[in-house]
Formats: sequence, structure tokens, C-alpha cells
Amino acid sequence: MTEVLAARSFRGPAAEAAIEAVHNDLDSLWLDVPFVNDMDQMTFTTAVIESASNIVQHAEPAGDREVELGVETTVQPALLQARVSAYYAKPPYGPMDASTPADDAESGRGLALIEALVTTVTFERQDGTNTWVLSRSSSQEQPSP
Amino acid sequence: MEFSYEVKDSYAEVKADGRLNMVSAPKLREFVTDVIAGGSNRIVVNLENTAFMDSSGLGALIGCLKAARQAGGDLRIAAVQPQVNMVLKLTSMDKVLTAYPTAEEAFSND
Repeated sequence: MTEVLAARSFRGPAAEAAIEAVHNDLDSLWLDVPFVNDMDQMTFTTAVIESASNIVQHAEPAGDREVELGVETTVQPALLQARVSAYYAKPPYGPMDASTPADDAESGRGLALIEALVTTVTFERQDGTNTWVLSRSSSQEQPSP
Repeated sequence: MEFSYEVKDSYAEVKADGRLNMVSAPKLREFVTDVIAGGSNRIVVNLENTAFMDSSGLGALIGCLKAARQAGGDLRIAAVQPQVNMVLKLTSMDKVLTAYPTAEEAFSND
């Protein structure tokens, strides 16, 4: 079984306040695993916030319930992983491929940025929940037993 | 995120302290728009205490740049920290938003 060295879990309404809460969760997560290097912390945090923000900005409710954001982050030996979910949401609408907007465009860079920051991005939809799984291979040195 | 500004001899310096994300990005845009409306069209955004920026924050900076140029001026950024620098480079926006080591240097050669 894969060893989880540290983890955080957030779930709440997909609103602006959730973004700050998730960011605070990540800041506290890194305190638990100081052996994860600064570059990995920085890139992974950016990818998770981009992904969570994408849900807050664009997810539409599938029914009467408001969309909820879920972010489960785990640190495993040599792997950082986050499951960023939109609960009670419609399937994502529009292109899911990263685009390269014009230099003066003020939006549209999020997906390309996420792809540049992590090793793999996968998408799942199950039981009305959209989940993006972000994984980044980490060059962390293992703590001594 | 907290915003402040100071009008200097040849430019206005805007400080944006904290996280420049989807929550604060519209506020930065509004703040800089007000500074420009107040008569300053040469803007330096001092990012010394901006620990984090995402694509929403980047979009706001680009919007502020366009507003400054439409007013006949320009917008430059200064004291960029590592995470912000990473986002600028990965999006190739480091070629559009010119970064200077300090706010004082941003318009020093104009």
C-alpha cells in the first residue's frame, strides 16, 4: 500500500472563500513535509489553486443543489497528488484542451499553466462529480526513518 | 490582499501585498483603474510582497497594462518573487510585462 506522508482535505461551497481556505490548507501541508523542495511546493500549489479556481469560476450546478468544491491533497514518497472535484455539477462545457491566447488576452491561460506545472492531469466524471486528478513527480528526499 | 499607491516624480507606484488570485484580481484592476483615472498613466506595480499569482492575477496585470497604454502611458512590474516569475515565464508573459529589479528602476531610463 502506498505510504501517505501528509494529507489535507477540503470541501465546501464553490465560492471565493474556498480558494483562500484551500491555499491555507496547502501552506500548512508543506509545513508537515519540509523535505518537499520549494520548487515542487510552488508548482503544485499553483496547479491546485488554478484548478480549484476553474471550478469556482465555471462549474454550473446540475440541479437544485449548489456546486461544492472538494480538494484532497496527498504527499507520497516522490509523488504529490490532488483530486480537485466539482460536486453536483454539470459535465464541463467547452474545450478541455489547453489553448494559447493572444498576448493581450486577459483570460484563457489556466489550463495550459496547469499542464505545464504537473506531470499528469486526468479527468473523471462519476455520480455527478467532475474530478481533475493532478499528479507531480517530486524530487523530494525521503526523511530518515 | 492589500493595495496601496504612492505618486512619485515620474510614475505612480502600486503595491499589491498578499495573494493575487481570482479573489483579488478584480480588485487590483479596479485599484489601478482608479490610479490612472486620478491622472497617473505611468504605473509601476511593486510585487515585492506578492507571494503568489495565478492566471487570474496575470490577466488583471495585463488588463491594467492595456488601461495604462490606452491612457497614453505604460505599466511595468518590479521586485518579482520566484512564484510570480515562474508563472510569467511558463505563460511567456515575461516578454509582455517587463520586470525590473526595483520600482525606482522601472522608468529610470525614459
